Amino acid sequence: MSAIEASAQSRVEHRAAAAVHPPIFRLAGVTKRFGGVTAVEAVDFDLRRGEVHAQVGENGAGKSTLVKLVGGLYVPDEGRVEVGGEVVQFSSPRDSEAAGIAMIPQELDLFLELSAAENLFVGRRRPRRPWGALDWRQMEARAREQLGALGVEFDVEAPVERLSMANRQIMLIAKALMGDAAAVVMDEPTSSLTEREAARLFRIIDELTARGVGVVYISHRLGEVFMVADRITVLRDGQHVRTAPASELDSEEVVRLMVGRSLDELFSRGGHEAGDVALEVRGLTRTGEFEDIDLTVRHGEVVGIAGLIGAGRTELAQTIFGVRAAERGEVLVDGEPVELDSPAAAMEAGIGYVPEERQSQGLVLPFTIAANISLSILGRLSRLGFVASQRERETADGFAEQLAIRGARVSEPVSRLSGGNQQKVVLAKSLAGGPQVLLLDEPTRGVDVGAKSEIYRLIDRLASEGRAIVLISSELEEVLSMADRVLVMREGRVSAELSREEATQERVIAAATGVAVGEDEGAEGAAPAASVDTER
Amino acid sequence: MSANQLRPLDVLKGVRFTRELVLLCLLIVLVVVLGQMSPVFFTVGNLLNTSRFFVEVGLIALGMTLIIITGGIDLSVGAAMALVAVTVGLAHQSGVPMALALVLGLAVGLAAGLFNGLMITRLDLHPLVVTLGTFALFRGIALGVSGGGAVSSFPQWFEYFGQFYLGPVPGQLFVFIAAVTAVWLLLSRTPFGRYVYAIGNNEEAARFSGVPVRRVKVVLYTGIGVLVSMAAVIYTSRVSTSRADFGAGLELDVISAVVLGGASIYGGSGTIAGTVLGVVIIATLRNGLSLAGVETTWQVFLLGVLLIAAVFVNEFFRRREE
Repeated sequence: MSAIEASAQSRVEHRAAAAVHPPIFRLAGVTKRFGGVTAVEAVDFDLRRGEVHAQVGENGAGKSTLVKLVGGLYVPDEGRVEVGGEVVQFSSPRDSEAAGIAMIPQELDLFLELSAAENLFVGRRRPRRPWGALDWRQMEARAREQLGALGVEFDVEAPVERLSMANRQIMLIAKALMGDAAAVVMDEPTSSLTEREAARLFRIIDELTARGVGVVYISHRLGEVFMVADRITVLRDGQHVRTAPASELDSEEVVRLMVGRSLDELFSRGGHEAGDVALEVRGLTRTGEFEDIDLTVRHGEVVGIAGLIGAGRTELAQTIFGVRAAERGEVLVDGEPVELDSPAAAMEAGIGYVPEERQSQGLVLPFTIAANISLSILGRLSRLGFVASQRERETADGFAEQLAIRGARVSEPVSRLSGGNQQKVVLAKSLAGGPQVLLLDEPTRGVDVGAKSEIYRLIDRLASEGRAIVLISSELEEVLSMADRVLVMREGRVSAELSREEATQERVIAAATGVAVGEDEGAEGAAPAASVDTER
Repeated sequence: MSANQLRPLDVLKGVRFTRELVLLCLLIVLVVVLGQMSPVFFTVGNLLNTSRFFVEVGLIALGMTLIIITGGIDLSVGAAMALVAVTVGLAHQSGVPMALALVLGLAVGLAAGLFNGLMITRLDLHPLVVTLGTFALFRGIALGVSGGGAVSSFPQWFEYFGQFYLGPVPGQLFVFIAAVTAVWLLLSRTPFGRYVYAIGNNEEAARFSGVPVRRVKVVLYTGIGVLVSMAAVIYTSRVSTSRADFGAGLELDVISAVVLGGASIYGGSGTIAGTVLGVVIIATLRNGLSLAGVETTWQVFLLGVLLIAAVFVNEFFRRREE
């Protein structure tokens, strides 16, 4: 242990013993700029002993910058960082760690080939035998003891790579506690956890706060935030919007503070009369990906497809669109069979597809916005074999206005747009061909709340215009609020088909995970699925 | 902004204009310096005459530009040129009417390109590997069927293709100008040209957008086969001979010209104007250095220096864009 580390640690211990009231740490009016861009401006944030203080905000609101200021990765341009009432200058993550602040980042920083016990002792004095060799037995015993204190037990001798994400995370928490951390900062801790694992994490957080440790909790999932947080701080565009006890806020209010809009506007969908069958899929099969899929979607209907990652949803959509070759089965649009050999044929038949991977599958990034929108319909925009630039620009301008594509002119590269606006360009491209059937694969992934609500309104409008829409989404809230009917896929098969009324979170999760419907699994796992997943 | 802001050339953002301007300045500097070194260089006759020597490389470079923009390459062009020349020569020698011999040559060039295209798209092999294979294969066939011998004594009218002058202007320059115009229009004004850029920048997104990626590639490799045939005919006519060692090392000249012209070897960018400037600069340099009495070995050395400098300048602009 370095001298700085030791002195800082004794200072923290001293402070903690001397005063109960001052916060563990405090950011006072911190500002951080990168070139001309201000990431956070005059933000106050503090953490008290034994509390969970949640930070929420859209992408780019400044959450991660704030965390890095606390973690010693950035130095503020203005304002102060105080630990235990004293102004400190962190010049590296080690300084912050020595001051008793532990980070649990989203991407866990571990030595995968080493055992849990070894990882716990990295950067720390390891117990040795009298003749100098490492005392493995004692290391493992102490590792078990640390985990036991958190009410967890797993094999501390196996390499960490064999542990689940949840156990790796708990290991890092245990490591923080071994270093007598006074504060633990968790960035999106549940993003890769199952519900059961998340429930266990919440118990551990309770354990921490009972010991007086403060927890900074950063999450997009407001449902979780309200479960664990004592106080909530809302950030918007690098500015501090509000800090209040969780009991004084509700999720509607928080979303409004985050975007300046209310929750109702985010999820709005009127009832529609469904028309004739637009898309019919019969017995579509690709062995190993999905089998015997039957699906009908009517004009004006939104059919949601829920399921876990790897259930075969994307593969199904791409096969209908002709990107992947079907082994068996057929696809009909308005009763006419579609040739399943190329996207061009699918588009010709009136099918549009918005791919899951926006940047690699949806856009040609160096191309202009206009050239991206027109890419699928160049033939139609041409006169005597030459692209009619006037027509191309008018088409692009039309879509830019309809879909409210903001941030650049259509003659500028699409790469200049934000994620949400890029997504609108992908939507525009798939709409350019005038499809009657639209397959949307994770259409709001990586999109901020504002653009998200615009995309929902667009889906609603397209359905009311009579288009048949298939909405593939891993966000349960999204499927439940947008779809007229929900299909659940599991391991390549349709495991349930639920009407809007029948579709509840519990039923969908049960069908997606294979737990029989009726055994209300959702109620047992203490954590309800995220109620509003504001971004991914 | 003008109403023309969406001209397909502007599809890619960038400073390509600046890049071409740099090349133009380089050309002017070259002409001035070489003019100082040799009194003959600066005559109209010589400058036009230079064009006789770059048309073959230039024609093939047009096709190569499109292929390189898609992220591909064709190393077999020199060998294919020999194959076409040998076909024409042997057909003529065995009594086939010359016109028909030319058609046969064209068919062989087209078939060679189509073969490359199908191997690349159907078997999903990398163009570098496929054309490295056919580079040896085509040359081998040409050497085998010709037995290494040369054919000359072509009919008088055939020599027009490579030796005809209209006033002081060599005839093949018209062919080249027509080809440049056609390929430039194809690349910058048609959906096909847009597809070429889309494939080079993001092949997967192009496929998801309904771009017939395979068909575009097959057309490109077949197309360069046709350009190779034209070059073979002009070259055979110019030297009044057909031999199986024609076009040895030609692929290097062609690729050098395209890269000098600003096309990225990683795909995604490049223009016909740039390639034409690249072709002209290399030809001018070679001609001027010869006239100034610089030995061939030093010419090759200077070309190497120029090429590396060009790639460096290209990378400089690309990084600045990023």
